[in-house]
Amino acid sequence: MEKVISVEHCDLFYGDFQALKDVSLPIYRHKVTALIGPSGCGKSTFIRVLNRMNDLIPSCKVTGSIQFNHEETYGSGYDVIELRKKVGMVFQKPNPFPMSIFDNIAFGPRQQGIKDKVKLQAIVERSLKQAALWEEVNDRLNQSALSLSGGQQQRLCIARAIAMEPEVILMDEPTSALDPIATQKIENLIEELKKDYTIVIVTHSMQQAARISDYTAFFYMGELLEFDVTKTLFVSPKLKQTEDYVTGRFG
Amino acid sequence: MRKQRRLSDRILQTVTIMSTFISIIGLGLIFYFVFSNGMKLMSFDLFTSDYYAKSYIAQLVPYEETEFNMPDFSDDEDVYVIPRFGLAIRQGVDLAGNGIVEVHYVHPDSVFNTMISDEVGIDTVDMDANNIIERISYVNHPTSLSRRGAELFAQELNDPEREVFQVFFSDLGGGIRGSFITTLWLIALTLLMALPMGVLTAVYFNEFAPVNVLTKTMRTFIETLTGVPSIIYGLLGISVFVPLTVALTPAVNTNLIAGSMTLAVIILPIIIRTTEESLKVVPADHRAASLALGANKTQTTFKVVLPQATQGILTSTFLAIGRIIGESAALIFVLGAIVRDRVSVFEQSTSLAVHIWSMMTDEPANIALSSTIALLILAVVLFLNVSIKLSVFLLERRGK
Repeated sequence: MEKVISVEHCDLFYGDFQALKDVSLPIYRHKVTALIGPSGCGKSTFIRVLNRMNDLIPSCKVTGSIQFNHEETYGSGYDVIELRKKVGMVFQKPNPFPMSIFDNIAFGPRQQGIKDKVKLQAIVERSLKQAALWEEVNDRLNQSALSLSGGQQQRLCIARAIAMEPEVILMDEPTSALDPIATQKIENLIEELKKDYTIVIVTHSMQQAARISDYTAFFYMGELLEFDVTKTLFVSPKLKQTEDYVTGRFG
Repeated sequence: MRKQRRLSDRILQTVTIMSTFISIIGLGLIFYFVFSNGMKLMSFDLFTSDYYAKSYIAQLVPYEETEFNMPDFSDDEDVYVIPRFGLAIRQGVDLAGNGIVEVHYVHPDSVFNTMISDEVGIDTVDMDANNIIERISYVNHPTSLSRRGAELFAQELNDPEREVFQVFFSDLGGGIRGSFITTLWLIALTLLMALPMGVLTAVYFNEFAPVNVLTKTMRTFIETLTGVPSIIYGLLGISVFVPLTVALTPAVNTNLIAGSMTLAVIILPIIIRTTEESLKVVPADHRAASLALGANKTQTTFKVVLPQATQGILTSTFLAIGRIIGESAALIFVLGAIVRDRVSVFEQSTSLAVHIWSMMTDEPANIALSSTIALLILAVVLFLNVSIKLSVFLLERRGK
């Protein structure tokens, strides 16, 4: 199986605090990888290593090898903009820009210099269709994105990430702010999306991880304790701690 | 113990209510004073007419004795009709309290509508309502003088025996057109200079500047500037901006450009602070989302963050306009205190606020017109405040 991203011996420090300890994890192409673990275990920190969003925190230092398509993303001279174009991200809270639905999705392509109206329209339509939102909003693309419901906003954010035609989509607890029906829609969407994209999802919900992911990584106290095929990890975990966590005995 | 408690509660309550009451009365008195003194001069003509009265001397074209059909002025007190010339005049009082004769009405066919000017270079002059007649001289008869009252004036003018020789009259004057235009110039030039600079400074501080001792010191410095009395800015203006403009432009003295430069420095801290406040409340999530989409820092700042600060920038603009309109001390130094009717950016003139200062230092002080201008300034400030609220409301509604 082909690895899109390969992380080897990654350590991450916030100042003196070590948030990730010697994490090694492969991300396989066209698979859904779920990151689970109790709060503060480092899973959100880890997902931000993959598209270098941790760069925004001045005190943050990363060591080890993180390769995207066999290139060191933290290597000198690596273009972080190119990385983020290929590794999109969806955040915990839906965060559409206060612009129209169209402008939200066209934002990324526009910043890359695409000005052709026809081209942008095609991108917007394709992205919204892939994000299963087209049917609901095609008659009001010029309305403010903030007029959408929370679930629609989150799918809009997914569409916005898709518009860049990334290879990997990182999702940081994408359904934690949504109601069960909206969550269901996002989960169905992830199922669809993995045909074209590689997905890494951080989730607090064990059921969600079990439902939608192919691989699951269990983080605890900044360490990657166990990584396996989801079914194996949930049914017959190697470690006691993993078993305790997935069965809800702590966390 | 309980009684004491209750008593002290009562006293505290009374004091708070009294304080509110006194504050409201204080503010109310300002409005009452300005309204009662200023309202009677408030008119559209005020904005279009010159401050300095212009005098005319003219002769009538040869005329035949007729009787004009006059409108009915019998309801108006102090108005006297002169059917012989199609004129109506009224008794008025000038700002110094002297009796004057004002033109109330001029018939369209009246000979007073096209008179031959005695001045060189001007052919005809016309008399309009609200002009002031100083005196009218006759052939072989004693001159009618305005200080003897409009009634006698009208009687003498109506007398068919008297043949008019010369008419001495003047504009009302006291208009604020020049100061009004100066103020508009000041607002335009000042915002042109300060708005982009202030907004970009705020963007730098909030988005790009590293957090260290130097930037913290600079911030504190800017905050301090908001509290500096404007007369100190005036000193800066007269020692830096006036020489600068004199050297670089046709200006030879204090001038409007130097005035706007000084005002720009005064309003910069307001714009920087208000804009920065509104940049601070832009969700960090939006920056992250933009960066995660492969936009760089500059694109994120100017395409995502800054547009969301529109409301703050608008608010700061309105606040700044209020400050510009209300500023006087610094402008007396840098712009001058001489009221001008013909405004040039390279010359001295007065803003509306300085116009008040200029009139109140006159002898006698012109309280009526000052109050009218004060009323105008109050109205504009009120309008600006309402505009801020309205723009906030509209922008919020548009966002939803």
